[in-house]
Amino acid sequence: MSETKVMTAEEAVAAFVHDGDCLALGGFSTNRRAYGLVREIIRQKKRGLCLESGSAGGDADMLIGAGCVAVMNISYIANSGFTMVCRRFRDAVEKGTLPVEDYSLDVQTIAYHAAALGLSYVAVKNMLGSDLEKEWGISEEERKKYPKLPAKKFVIAEDPFHPGSRLCLVPAPQIDVACIHVQKASPSGICRIEGAGFQDEDIAIAARHTIVSCEELVDDEEMRADPNANTLPGLCVSAVVPMRCGAHPSQCYGYYDYDPAAMIAYDKASRTQEGFDAFAEEYLTLSHEEYLARIGEEHLASLRVHPGCGYVPGLRRK
Amino acid sequence: MNCTYKQMMAVALAREIEDGKTYIIGTGLPLIGGSLAKNTHAPHARLIFETGILEGNPQEVPTSVSDLRLNYQASVLWPQFRYFGYQTLAAARGEIDAGFLGGAQIDPYGNLNSTCIGDYRHPATRLSGSGGANGIATYCDTVIIMKHEKRRFVEKVDYCTSPGWIDGPDGRARHGLNPEKGPRAVITQYGVFRFGEQDKRMYLAEIFPGISVETVLENTGFALDVSRAVVAREPSDEVIRILEEKVDPARLMT
Repeated sequence: MSETKVMTAEEAVAAFVHDGDCLALGGFSTNRRAYGLVREIIRQKKRGLCLESGSAGGDADMLIGAGCVAVMNISYIANSGFTMVCRRFRDAVEKGTLPVEDYSLDVQTIAYHAAALGLSYVAVKNMLGSDLEKEWGISEEERKKYPKLPAKKFVIAEDPFHPGSRLCLVPAPQIDVACIHVQKASPSGICRIEGAGFQDEDIAIAARHTIVSCEELVDDEEMRADPNANTLPGLCVSAVVPMRCGAHPSQCYGYYDYDPAAMIAYDKASRTQEGFDAFAEEYLTLSHEEYLARIGEEHLASLRVHPGCGYVPGLRRK
Repeated sequence: MNCTYKQMMAVALAREIEDGKTYIIGTGLPLIGGSLAKNTHAPHARLIFETGILEGNPQEVPTSVSDLRLNYQASVLWPQFRYFGYQTLAAARGEIDAGFLGGAQIDPYGNLNSTCIGDYRHPATRLSGSGGANGIATYCDTVIIMKHEKRRFVEKVDYCTSPGWIDGPDGRARHGLNPEKGPRAVITQYGVFRFGEQDKRMYLAEIFPGISVETVLENTGFALDVSRAVVAREPSDEVIRILEEKVDPARLMT
């Protein structure tokens, strides 16, 4: 019997998320975002985080609204279909209280993969000729204030193998902690992501510590019976947090659809900081079990995906 | 006209799609256009998404490129890095016919802004950011969907998120981008706009029925050649029936 990495969200976040860390979040916009773990980070009032998130959603917006984030590398942040631009993010950038550096999603994805390969940087053509190349959100001087940020946004260089051709050398992020939500995990930390994996495998491998929340805790033996279906070994995982509906209100392949009512309610609440604060008071102070009780078992059951199609047919989304 | 202008936009988008070819699709109207094409003249068109969800055949309108609805009949759910590697290689080999993009501002050379209005460091309005748009504009021909307003059709975009023809025929080559690829068409509620062979400037190619050239010019913030414009062909009633009954029955997008 190997050691168990099973912890409560409270224990896992207390042990592995520190003020000032570079935090990477899994999922994509409204799919398999690690909302449960993010709520716990907010509950524990972590501060000064350097946020990395390929295609971020409302979870990242909640971290910003709650004052946890000092600086952010971004390519996109929306609850697509419900909120075009996440509102606490937008407000913070417009007020000048959140320094952000813009990349494109393709570049962030490739940089996270580079990080998972143990590379220092990666050479791409992307961003050339655009203002993603010309404009820096955070200057070299300002970067000195944020030890988790690379010293430069990127470096432009000539391709040594194709003289005359320009390349953009993008630094691979140094991720302290990754939070991802998966369908199945075992006590030793073996993880199985079902459906689209997005960038989760890469950020989990790249991070010094990875916290995994899971829909189901499954025996190691059962996971080892079908290693081909597994995404991560326990070697890459620091904590396993059993968390049914841990991605709510986003989707989770094989389990549940997004919750349009919750997405629309957050869209409304996050229009102002006061609205957000009231929302935070109501939802972000709760333990996960209390949170699920507040959402309601009947409502959660109505979001369960239908076999055959993998979503809730006819779900009311306006 | 036998349909709304939003529906006409979806029809114009669908017309950019050829049977058997591959297209990178974003959410919103592009997905409606793609789905309409697959249900009409282009059943074998392949739709791919930056989330690594390839060739899905959604039966209900997805709200995001990550939506579970896209998985239906997909060929593969790749990790994103594999998708972006494939996108770069396939585009270079000419195997992607076009990518579909949207934005808040566009200039005469098809440079597109989806990052901010006003100064980048102190924006009046912060937008969602590039997403995968920059990479698509870097490597592929693009079809751009815009709301046609004077404040959006501007001489110079506040921030160039996705490069078009930059500033003319040699703009892309000068910046290290493939000069053979670039914006192919812009579709708005007024019509279809294309880019000159020689000067790479936007011109009015097709105007939707019932729209006047004056309306187009009044709502465009730069000099626009309208001399080549023809009136766009109305869709058949059958196409509109498919759009309303099969593609977007919940009327989420149209």
